[in-house]
Amino acid sequence: MKAIHIFVFALVFFAALQPDAPALAYLDPGTGSMLLQLLLGGVAGALVVGKLYWHRFTALFGHTARVGGSPSDSGESDQSKRDGQ
Amino acid sequence: MANRSSAVAGSFRDPSGRVYDDGGRILRSVTASAAADFEFVRSSGFYDALVAQQRAIGAQVVDEDGSFALETEFDPAERHMAALHCILEHPRLPIISYPYEWCFPALKAAALHHLRIHREALERGVTLSDASAYNIQFLGAKPIFIDTLSFRAYREGEFWHGHRQFCEQFLNPLLLRAYLGIPHNAWYRGTLEGIASQDILKLLPWTKKFGWNILTQLVLPSRFDESARKGKVAVDAKVLENSGFPRTAYLNLLKRLESWIAGLTPRGQKPTIWQNYSQVNSYAEPEVSAKRAFIKTFIEAEKPGMVWDLGCNTGDYSELALSCGADYVVGWDFDQGALEAAFDRAQSKDLAFTPLFLDATNPSPDQGWAQAERGGMGKRDRPDACLALAFIHHLAIARNIPLPEIIDWLLAVAPCGVVEFVPKEDQTVQIMLQIREDIFAGYDFDSFITCLESRAAIVKIEKVGDRHLVWFKK
Repeated sequence: MKAIHIFVFALVFFAALQPDAPALAYLDPGTGSMLLQLLLGGVAGALVVGKLYWHRFTALFGHTARVGGSPSDSGESDQSKRDGQ
Repeated sequence: MANRSSAVAGSFRDPSGRVYDDGGRILRSVTASAAADFEFVRSSGFYDALVAQQRAIGAQVVDEDGSFALETEFDPAERHMAALHCILEHPRLPIISYPYEWCFPALKAAALHHLRIHREALERGVTLSDASAYNIQFLGAKPIFIDTLSFRAYREGEFWHGHRQFCEQFLNPLLLRAYLGIPHNAWYRGTLEGIASQDILKLLPWTKKFGWNILTQLVLPSRFDESARKGKVAVDAKVLENSGFPRTAYLNLLKRLESWIAGLTPRGQKPTIWQNYSQVNSYAEPEVSAKRAFIKTFIEAEKPGMVWDLGCNTGDYSELALSCGADYVVGWDFDQGALEAAFDRAQSKDLAFTPLFLDATNPSPDQGWAQAERGGMGKRDRPDACLALAFIHHLAIARNIPLPEIIDWLLAVAPCGVVEFVPKEDQTVQIMLQIREDIFAGYDFDSFITCLESRAAIVKIEKVGDRHLVWFKK
């Protein structure tokens, strides 16, 4: 199995991992398609997606998950720190 | 210009322009905001090449400087009317149809058409701004792209914004039939925008979800969407802009979808009863010849341009009508197997014949925005003649429609036609009545002909076996 296959399976897993937050079903900008294309776009894009989901992985080991993680953040954003998230 | 133009209701979405029906001429405005992209595509020669190959609809610039003002029913302040770049004229298509009226191979042909055009466009520095199945129509069984303004200049690194729309409007309806054996028509007609990935995923067996194509095109984007809706991840324009989507990856995505869709077939496809009808029907050879001769005389005498073949089955008589001089035939049927065989006939013989799905007791309604976006069957251009061969007993016996109402409906469809009346004693009607009470006391040839005579002229009647062929004219 290629590394990308393992990566995608891991993403499917982590994307489903976090407890549900209230869904805003009417707000749907097609994020899924864009993230998929980031993944398919190559290593750099895949890293961006991986980073978005990294907190899910760390949450498994006791770290508090961060809501709305942005890939441009190098760590927790100031906003999320202020919000205590 | 006289006040005759009206905006085509389904063309409101794109701010690049709008389509107008100007007393039969099909015109399209191109707004100033779309001018740069339009001129880029025009100068690339890409669109003209598609037109030359009959893969996209002709688009003649009829007003170069934009001074031509359309007199419309709409508020002149409508945003794009303020600054027009030019006006295009398209040839009028023989029939407008919608994806919920297409059979599986037609939707598949449309999907592949879209993907191939998009791939070729990308190679020429052009792209498509959306992936709507409504941008495709049919000439015979050949798909043709009709939305000229969907083409625009490709910007290096941009994402395929139509990906989700493509999945919902093409891919998922095809998967519904290919993996679950359910025709897409009723669901598609209900939603209009296709089938959402999260909905079809609830139906697919879990084993299918581990397939690479399903996993990447459906499962993963749906999970991502869900995450985004719940606020678990957020992707902004900056992230997308910084990362970009390389053109090679874009092309690979289109190619991957193309090869996947090209291999899809309806699940467990076995010939349906109507698909085999021409081989197993109750007609003996001399009766078939007599029936064909009757249709031939009718078509040659009436010289119809457009014929609607109601209950077209696999298109035997549609093809006959074409060979006798009709310009175009639209076949309507409710049986998927028959429609697929008809589509295959039209495709393999390159006929001017488009088979479409119709349940005559529940035809496509006016629907969408303001109940006008997608016109119902009654809004399509009327044919010059119709064939209703072994058709009306399905309405009268199977669906309890009174004969006078069926006749009124037929006369509203076309000014002349041929009806084949199948009597109660016929084997096919007997099968229908096998397990139900015969409540159809008024269903006989005399009642039929009396009713028809009171509404239209009878040109010719011929008895073929136990059935009657009736040529009527209003």
